[in-house]
Amino acid sequence: MIEFVNFYLFPALAIGSIYALGAVGISMIFGILRFAHFAHGDLMTLGTYGVLAMAAIVPVNPLLLIPFGIALTIVSALLVDRYFYKPLRELPTIYTVISSFGIALVFRSIVQLVWGSQNQVFFTGVKPPMVLFDTFRVSVLHLQAVILTAIIAVLLHYFLTVTRTGRSMRAVADDPELAEVSGLDTAKVIRWTWIIGASLAAIAGTFAALNTSVHPNLGWNLLMPMFAAAILGGIGKPMGAMAGGFIIGLAEELSSYHWIGDDALISPSYKTAVAFVLMIGLLIFRPQGLFKGRLL
Amino acid sequence: MKKLTTIVAAAALLGTGTAALADDTKIGVLMDITGPIANFIPPLQNAADLAVKQVNEQGGLLGGSAIAVYGDTTGTAQGAVDAAQKLVNVENVPIIMGSLMSGTTIAAAEAAIIPAGVPQISPTATSPAMTTLEDGGLVFRIVPSDNYQGEILAKMVLDEGLKKVALTYVNNDYGVGIGETFIDAYTAAGGEIVAEAKHEEKKDSYRSELASLAKGDAEALVVIAYAGDSGGKIVRQAIEGGLFTKFIGTDGLRDELLIQNVGADALKTSFFSSPTSPAENPAQKALHDAFNAEYGEGADKAFVDQTYDATFLALLAIEKAGSTDRAKIAEALKEVAMAPGEKVGPGEWAKAIELIKEGKDIDYEGASGSAEFDENGDVGGYIGKFVVDGDGYKQVEIVE
Repeated sequence: MIEFVNFYLFPALAIGSIYALGAVGISMIFGILRFAHFAHGDLMTLGTYGVLAMAAIVPVNPLLLIPFGIALTIVSALLVDRYFYKPLRELPTIYTVISSFGIALVFRSIVQLVWGSQNQVFFTGVKPPMVLFDTFRVSVLHLQAVILTAIIAVLLHYFLTVTRTGRSMRAVADDPELAEVSGLDTAKVIRWTWIIGASLAAIAGTFAALNTSVHPNLGWNLLMPMFAAAILGGIGKPMGAMAGGFIIGLAEELSSYHWIGDDALISPSYKTAVAFVLMIGLLIFRPQGLFKGRLL
Repeated sequence: MKKLTTIVAAAALLGTGTAALADDTKIGVLMDITGPIANFIPPLQNAADLAVKQVNEQGGLLGGSAIAVYGDTTGTAQGAVDAAQKLVNVENVPIIMGSLMSGTTIAAAEAAIIPAGVPQISPTATSPAMTTLEDGGLVFRIVPSDNYQGEILAKMVLDEGLKKVALTYVNNDYGVGIGETFIDAYTAAGGEIVAEAKHEEKKDSYRSELASLAKGDAEALVVIAYAGDSGGKIVRQAIEGGLFTKFIGTDGLRDELLIQNVGADALKTSFFSSPTSPAENPAQKALHDAFNAEYGEGADKAFVDQTYDATFLALLAIEKAGSTDRAKIAEALKEVAMAPGEKVGPGEWAKAIELIKEGKDIDYEGASGSAEFDENGDVGGYIGKFVVDGDGYKQVEIVE
């Protein structure tokens, strides 16, 4: 039981938080702008390097420097949208999808040119885990990630249900034509989509980097599970994406727990496969996702 | 991925500051510039550039200049194939030096380099799968096969008095190759592997793997993976979780990044095996002096010797063949690397072209060894045992 919490449950929740935060952006962009944003992983990478650059100057806990990463991703996302995605918006969405692939490579190359291609770490040494009630050993970072993600989920929910902008966003995601004829400011909705998506991407990237190390492929490697999470939760449903992220994270980590007998239920080598089998199964039986998202 | 390669190649070209002229000869340099072993690469690029620079200062290649054209494998099989295809088809290079990882070397060789009939020489690809590769005599390496490193590692572990270990290895050509030979050698010599787990690259958490590895009463954890990817994360998460304190790694883990990541204190009792250069080798000293004179430091970094030697051999092979004919170069590579012949060492390009002009056979004695290929393009060599010393590694033992 203790082993389960220490080595399976908490890491799973931490990974789930990273997927969840990344998937919100993907899901919202998919829902509102109607295209799969393949540069989202690299947007995460960019934000992480923004934090890393500040961490080299200001020696405080990197989590406090996340706002700099967020600023960098928001500016980049808005510029990219203005100069690359907006001119293509009237064309079939496949043009935007492919151009987002290009943007992904541009982001990654910029990161390599500015910061180099090596692996880097925020700090040297291993932080001892926090011991709770003398039994549970939980990494401080994991606890921070889970708590911060929970706070973000609450704020996001509040924003989407109570504020005018948030409600317009949901309206556009549900039915863009109707939203447009009702006189909603689509440009503003799009702007806020990018701001939220980019902010959460920077936070997710920093968590992922603190958990492991910083390298140019950081976000790209996370893209597949994040897409899985977004689809699982239902396209255009930010809360669904959050839930999807946690489900994918939990499925990956918990499937290798020795539920029956002494051996891992499924060999840890197949972790990734477990998450995708889950996603495929759901797509077959419930194609709109858990939270009744848009059908593609 | 193409765009990335182009940028890297362009940056590399700008770095050498040479303008492409008609009589210049290109040599392909395939490296894992991004990806799990990215931290190894900067000194290795310097090593390859140094070889090219010495050639150009001492009479040039085939009467013109030599130019290194870089390709980045991104540390993945697909990236390796893309980069290699660009080198052989677009840049039309007659020989390729690289790449470093076993997986990328084999992928590039099978999908792009062998079909194009281009000879390839890898400085560090250690997988046993390279030995049996159907390469038509085109693929060489100047580092001993992991059949060898796995056995030596098993012996080192037993010599430390460790009879029970847990083992985890990365599921690619490198990890599986060395992992399987380690298991065979270790159990045959009386050791017991109490837990074993193959793991996938690029995951964020290896805690579930570690939890099952820690089940037995293993005295240490043997990690066969790259420090820039799964290896570093496994060591860190094992320490965080209080599961293991003693680690045994191979050349992939012996990366300064690992020390930056977990700190030297945590690695005090750990040790690492890695292909190395023979002790007391005058050729190595000559190379290290030239390298440090050019770049200030870094000659003692992992695989500098092998990378320099492989690049220098590739250049010698072109000169010996007298043209950029790919088949001739493959033959010439064996001639310049192997005895008999007049000995040539690192940096002795002027001497080498003089001898070639006179029609004499030459035998390159490199910093990493004498590079005598067998029929599979493999070499014997040296394995060193390394421990952490400050923020670097120190060699404490050497085995031929």
